Amino acid sequence: MRTFKGGFHVPDGKSLTAEASVEYMPLVTDYFVSLSQHIGKPARPVVNAGDQVVEGQLIAEASSPVSANIHSPVCGEVVEIVKRKNAQGALVDCVHLRSDGKQDKFTYPPLVDPTPEQIVARIAEAGIVGMGGAGFPTAVKLQPRDPVDTLIINAAECEPYLNCDNRVMIERTEAFIAGVRLIAKALSVTNVYIGIEANKMQAYNALLAQEGVIADTKEALQNRKDGDIVVVLLKTKYPQGAEKTLIKACVNREVPVGGLPSAVGCIVDNVCTAYAVWDAVVNGNPLHKRFMTVSGRGIAVPKNLEVAVGTPLSAIVELCGGVNDDTVKLISGGPMMGFSLLDLDVCTTKTDSGLLCLTDKEASTVLPTPCINCGRCAQVCPMRLMPMYIDFYTTVGDTENAVRYGALNCFECGTCAYVCPAKRPIVQSVRLTKIRSKEKK
Amino acid sequence: MAQYIYSSSPHVKSPNTTRRIMIDVCIALLPACIAGCVLMGLVNAKLGWLSFMQIVLSAVSAVLAEFVYALCLKKSFKTILNEFDFTSLVTGLLIGMNLYPTSAWYVGILASIFAIVVVKMLFGGTGKNIVNPAIAGRIFAFIAFGAAFGGAMGYVDPDTASLETIKYVSTVSGGSVSTGATPLQTLFNANYTSTLSGWDLFLGTGVAGCIGEACKLALIAGGIYLVVRGVLNFRWPLVYVAVTGVTAVLIDLATGTNFKDAIARFVPYILSGGLILGAIFMATDYVTTPNTKLGNYIYFACLGVLTAVLRHAVKGEAVSFAILLMNLLVPLFDRYIRRRPFGYVKPERKPRQKKTVTEQPVADEKVVAKEGK
Repeated sequence: MRTFKGGFHVPDGKSLTAEASVEYMPLVTDYFVSLSQHIGKPARPVVNAGDQVVEGQLIAEASSPVSANIHSPVCGEVVEIVKRKNAQGALVDCVHLRSDGKQDKFTYPPLVDPTPEQIVARIAEAGIVGMGGAGFPTAVKLQPRDPVDTLIINAAECEPYLNCDNRVMIERTEAFIAGVRLIAKALSVTNVYIGIEANKMQAYNALLAQEGVIADTKEALQNRKDGDIVVVLLKTKYPQGAEKTLIKACVNREVPVGGLPSAVGCIVDNVCTAYAVWDAVVNGNPLHKRFMTVSGRGIAVPKNLEVAVGTPLSAIVELCGGVNDDTVKLISGGPMMGFSLLDLDVCTTKTDSGLLCLTDKEASTVLPTPCINCGRCAQVCPMRLMPMYIDFYTTVGDTENAVRYGALNCFECGTCAYVCPAKRPIVQSVRLTKIRSKEKK
Repeated sequence: MAQYIYSSSPHVKSPNTTRRIMIDVCIALLPACIAGCVLMGLVNAKLGWLSFMQIVLSAVSAVLAEFVYALCLKKSFKTILNEFDFTSLVTGLLIGMNLYPTSAWYVGILASIFAIVVVKMLFGGTGKNIVNPAIAGRIFAFIAFGAAFGGAMGYVDPDTASLETIKYVSTVSGGSVSTGATPLQTLFNANYTSTLSGWDLFLGTGVAGCIGEACKLALIAGGIYLVVRGVLNFRWPLVYVAVTGVTAVLIDLATGTNFKDAIARFVPYILSGGLILGAIFMATDYVTTPNTKLGNYIYFACLGVLTAVLRHAVKGEAVSFAILLMNLLVPLFDRYIRRRPFGYVKPERKPRQKKTVTEQPVADEKVVAKEGK
């Protein structure tokens, strides 16, 4: 089974929702759609207070080459544009929409047998961004500067608890594979891999049952036909789903320090992104809802939901039976790289793959103790850095040396902090150093 | 409304803690402690009790030293209990195991206090010490107390020693009272004849020496426990012991011993003295070992060579001194041996430009440098 060096098997907690089929989140009254749900400049609103909008209507347009369109998730009225806190705790402009319960819907004309340019244009129109968490505009990603020969679909979903990618692959297998083919066509590549962790055998088998999808075995690869998609079974190990480790595991290429995957001829896209591409091209639906796992032992009924963008988390929690009293931590995203929330007064975005309510048995509440130099952090670091020194130099305020030990190459997967017996806040140190070195410049 | 914890990711962490690791080390040390006491007790019941008391006194005084030190820093009792991570207990146990049953009662106490206060706490506490506290404590006892430590490595002066001691030493040293040599020292005798079999050395039966280093079986059992618990990397003790043994054989060959005898000495050599105890529990201390895999391989290989050379030079035990010396070199290992980060491409060497003397003012050069960026 393929994998990368380093990493650590984190107990995944996926069984809470692995079998739960995706449910539709019913309509609520108020939606707050953030204008910065992606990397890059915030979108520019094209509606004013008092305007009537329908589901799927453009409410904010991309304001620069790296930005994305935003569409209304519901049919109703624009109340106002307000500043609201996002999951990271920053204040961002949000469009406040009040739904009127109607079902009117705007869709783009479906594309039949589209050209690569048409696909990219549609992806840009539909406001599709990387749905694994980073939110990089997909249309920009699909027009790389370097020559690209390989497309890798990130189906590893290595974050514990999350199951949204898993459920999409099980329940919408055909649409997902069609989406993958559309992305491959947009890039004009034939070498397509889907990297999936071994703890998702149901999804793995579902994918293999599709036509033109083959397993990563010698035998199957010999009979590989043009356009066949190879499903690569990967060892269940965190952070298998990080872009660089996934590329290393699937095609054994190392993305250079500070480089993009396209530097080694690869493009990586998430499962939900591929599904959204299919939805936008074949059905003409812009991206205004996504799949989300609501889980953790602190929630009454863990569920996988299809949620409209801008839905208040409080409404989602209510649908799942509320938060138990023993919950100590609320997390937007996965437990390894997600953001902890002060309260539920936050709305979903295109990049939210999960909402977790963790009890004190799950979330770590142990306070840091002095580093004992055990070296576990260095052993597990997928970037082969030496996190103990980054933490040490950050703590003593020596940004220069923290950077020398690779703080800027860290992608904050958190494996080091997970295994640390002294519970050092290593990732926090890395973030601090990144901020300090930016300030210096 | 409920208050939720707000913190940086990751939000889940492994259940492993420093305290848990140190408790594991304590558990791993227990078989050797018990075996040491029982073996001494088999020779003479009083010696067994003495051994037991040595270990308990050292362990208790090490822990107390840490508490008193923290109290002097005006920490509240609750904080001290919360911060207590069992490292001082490990140090205390190791110091006790490094004593002789016949050592004076105050030796272990003073060595423990020295190890904890001077070697560990004054340098900043857990994780900040430069050398292993237990090693430093043992060497402190050896140098400071000499005869009281155990009569210079097991040598007992028959005029002053108690009757039990003489009886004990005479039992294990084959009758000669005045030269209560440890098995290791007998190895360096010119007319070496094996009085103890490899099995005796392995099980510790009839071996004179420190309490904790007698029974290799118990030490190795503790080591295996640590490997299973993921605390210890099995490679490092193996590298250390193997390199020590091989170097010793090479030294023998170089000094004219014939091949067969040199090889025959390999097993008794590595099973004698404190090598196994040092290799499993003292040299592998996290704080005082390098951070990289390559660094560790080189470190333990150097340690092995140094141990064998020192042993040859002093014709006696030198494991603790070798570890102490190598501990001091660890910062160098960490400074010069680094890993290649993922995706790191070695920058191409720029052809050397000949330095041209320019009359430009310094300010201009800065501007040029900025534009270059």
